[in-house]
Formats: sequence, C-alpha cells, structure tokens
Amino acid sequence: MPYSFPLGPYHPALEEPFKVKVQCRGEVIDSATVEVGFSFRGIELLAQKRNWVEVITLIERVCGICSNTHAMTFCMAAETIAGIEIPKRAAHIRTIIAELERLHSHLLWAGVGAEDIGFHSLFMEVFSLRELVMDTLEAISGNRVNYGMNCIGGVHRDIPDPMRYLPALDALSKGLAEIVIPTFTENPTALARTRGVGRLSREQAVEWAVVGPVARASGLDIDVRKDQPYLSYAALGFESVTRPEGDVLARVVVRALEMVESIRLIREALLSLPAGPLRATEGLPEIPVGEATIRTEAPRGEAFYYVASEGGATPARVKIRTPSFVNIPAIEAMVTGQPLADLSIIQASVDPCISCTDR
Amino acid sequence: MAMLKTILGNLLRPSRTRAPADMPDVPTVYRGALAHDAARCTACGTCAFVCAPKAISFTQDPGVSVSWHFFIGQCSFCGLCAQNCPTQAISLDAEVPTGMNSAAGDGLRLESIVRLQPCTRCGAAHVPLPDAAIAALWGVEEAERGYCPDCRRWAASARLRSAFIPAAAEEVHHER
Repeated sequence: MPYSFPLGPYHPALEEPFKVKVQCRGEVIDSATVEVGFSFRGIELLAQKRNWVEVITLIERVCGICSNTHAMTFCMAAETIAGIEIPKRAAHIRTIIAELERLHSHLLWAGVGAEDIGFHSLFMEVFSLRELVMDTLEAISGNRVNYGMNCIGGVHRDIPDPMRYLPALDALSKGLAEIVIPTFTENPTALARTRGVGRLSREQAVEWAVVGPVARASGLDIDVRKDQPYLSYAALGFESVTRPEGDVLARVVVRALEMVESIRLIREALLSLPAGPLRATEGLPEIPVGEATIRTEAPRGEAFYYVASEGGATPARVKIRTPSFVNIPAIEAMVTGQPLADLSIIQASVDPCISCTDR
Repeated sequence: MAMLKTILGNLLRPSRTRAPADMPDVPTVYRGALAHDAARCTACGTCAFVCAPKAISFTQDPGVSVSWHFFIGQCSFCGLCAQNCPTQAISLDAEVPTGMNSAAGDGLRLESIVRLQPCTRCGAAHVPLPDAAIAALWGVEEAERGYCPDCRRWAASARLRSAFIPAAAEEVHHER
C-alpha cells in the first residue's frame, strides 16, 4: 500500500533544514518532492542597503562552507563594473584560498557521506584530515570559517611564507591516497551503499541542469575553471575530473580526485607566488554605473552573480544563483525507484547547501 | 582491508584529540578582542561606515566630546574597522574576546571618549589630531598644532596667498 513519508525539515541526516516528501510503495520510493526555503534571510535585499565595503562582509555569510566563493565572486563582479584588474599576487592568493576552501568542503562532504552510510571510523579519519586544511586556512586568514580575505581590488592579507604550508599539503595527499580514496573505492561496506545507488543519467543531468561534481559524475564535462578560466587557473593548468556512471560512487570519486587536483593547484600556486602588491586600489571603493555577471566554480558547482550599480554608495541589485539551487531539485530524479534507506545518502551525495540555496 | 589496517594502526598510536598545549599557535592575523585608542582617534567615522553589522557607532556631546561605542554582540570580527582606520586607532588583538553574547543580549560594550579641544586661534571645539598626524603635517609650524579644521584651511590658504603676493601676507595675519 502506498504511503507518503516526510523527511525534514528538521533533518536526521543533515544539519540544515530542507524537506523531502517521498511517496513509497513498500520499501521503494515512487516519487519525491523537495521543499526549500526554511532558512531564508533576505540577503539579496539586505545587500541593496549596505555600502560596497559592508556588503562583502554580508555576502560572505551567504554560506558557512563556501563563504570565500561568495565574497570573491561578488568582488570580481564589482571589479568588472569598475574596470579594476587585480594584481597577479592577489589572484594567486585568491586561487589558493578558493582551492583550500574546496578541499575543506569536499572533506566535510566525505565525512558526512561516510556517516550517512554508517561508516563512523571513516568519518573520524576524514575529519582529522580536514583539520589540517582548517589549520592552514586559520594560519593564513586568521579565521576558520569567514576568512575575510577579499576586498574590491585585491585581497586583505598576504601569504608571507608560502613554503610553511607545504608539509600540511603533503600529509593531506598521503591521507587521501592511503586512507580516504581506497576506503571509498575498495571497501565492500562503502561500495555496497554507493555503487549503482541514486543514478542520474547524462540525459537527466542535462534535463535537470545540474552543475559541479554532480554533473561531472554524470559525464557532463562542465567546470568554469576550465571553460572560462578566471584568477590563476589558466596559468596553473587546471584539469577537470569526470566519471560516466552517474551514481553515488561516481560523485564520491569525482570529489576525491578533485581534492587531489586542488592539492596540486595549491602547491603550484604557493611555489609560484608572484611578488607585487595585494591591492590594485587604495581606500574605499567607488563603483561607477554598470552591471556585470560573473561565474565561478564553487565547491558545489557553478555560482552565478549578477551585480548592478547605479554609481551610489550601495549596489543597486545583487542576484545570487548558487549551485545547490539547481542541484537540490535533481534529488527528485535520483531517488525514484530507490529503497527508502538509501534516501539519506542519495540526498547527501548532492552535497546540498541549504544556507546558500535559501540565502 | 585498508580500513582495518588504519584502525589497527590507530590502536598503537596516542590519542589524536589535541590537549590545550598541543593546539596550533594563534595566528598573528587572528581577529580577536577589539581595542580602541582614543588618543589616535579623529572621529572620522570610517569604522562605523565599513561595519556591516553596525557594531560600531558614534554619539556626540556637542562642544565637549565625541564617544566611540562598540557592542560585541553585533560584531562579526571581520576586521574591516581596523584595516580601514586611517590612524590605526582600532586594533584586533590575538586574545579571545570576552563576554560573547547574542545580538540582543548584554555582551561587552566598549565606550571610548574623544575629548574636544578648543582651537588655539578661534576657540571652536574640535577633535584634536593624533600626535603622529600633527608631526607629519605641521612638524615645523608649531603655531598651527592646535587649530580647528576651519583654521587649518585658513592657514593653508594664507600660506598660499603669501607665497604668491608677499605684500598681502601682513594684512592676512591681522584680519581676525
């Protein structure tokens, strides 16, 4: 007999509120409806009431995990309007912070994913690796979550001694190569819960317009870092990772290999950090009349910003489209025909960020 | 098998939970407790302008003082106030801030009073410039040190005038 089952908004698997209402026939899910909007804060409207300096602090709080991506993308949009080109050193530092953030976001996801399949020892291993990244971020920026690195025209803080952070990167590569990747790809317990689960075919991926690791795990080779290189990605030679299978295991593998690529990018950026100033402008920014759209690759996929200026003290409009906003609805396609028990890992495999989505 | 090996390896190792003594050093760029130096403050208002959560505000006691206010419950520790302060009057120390409360609560409030001084020329009350700024601007001209902004402008234009029309210099000095 069919029945409906609400999961959330107070969620058993994730810390953030969102609701999946599933229609089940026995153990198998017939259909699902996703509801978001439980942590709406009206940041886009607030951004129109804050000046160009304050708004960076505000935008950084769109998300608790990819905070730097949002502040950075907003600053890039403002720089595009004002025609400011940031110094090479600032571009490298932004790249390093963005990739460190991707590392800690993917490691957080790997930990949460491991916990969702009941693999607590792997969760502990992953989170102890994540501490290395958090310590590095804290040493560079002074904070573990909201780094406050970006300003319009460059970055606030320097990386005075880049070689200091290489040992942590080495330890991280070792941990990934020896523990995290083999366990996710070879451990029978992990494989039983991920292989062939929550498939999203290439056609479905196009239909649901997914982005980021979810799209790349379904064989869609889209990555803003490759398609439209920004910051120092063209100079550092970025290579994207894709998998054709489209199941949870493919998403795990894509994220794991992306972490390896991120470590390589960070190491090269640290070793080739060019000398020069940190900011292209002095004092408080003045943004002329204009508008700009900017795409960047956040840890979860393509983040899109539209910023308009009327030449005043505040932005006239800030439109934020986050990657989770397009990835979360695709859960409906992934869970159909799957056992109810797999619902938690399938929705976690999208790496939904509700804070971003609701803004 | 990798996981079993890892777990066995962990059994032979000491605990990975860090004791307070093993914690990583507080980075030099750590943004902690906020401090304000009234002797360096010119009450220009830049810190209040860049403060997104409005943790910093100014009040005036006309003719007597300007007060700088800070409420920790609204502070997001972004450090923009310290970074944008033109006279380095605000600093974020590497100490853990005390008394963190909710935005509506009764957390730490700081007040720093900047006393106004009468202008040595016209007597108008004004915010005195910090010593470092005075030394950079008027290292030689001792007389201009206590001037208010209006008198500083007057003095600057008087210097310009006397440079172009030397004869006019005497008149200007006796004008007021």
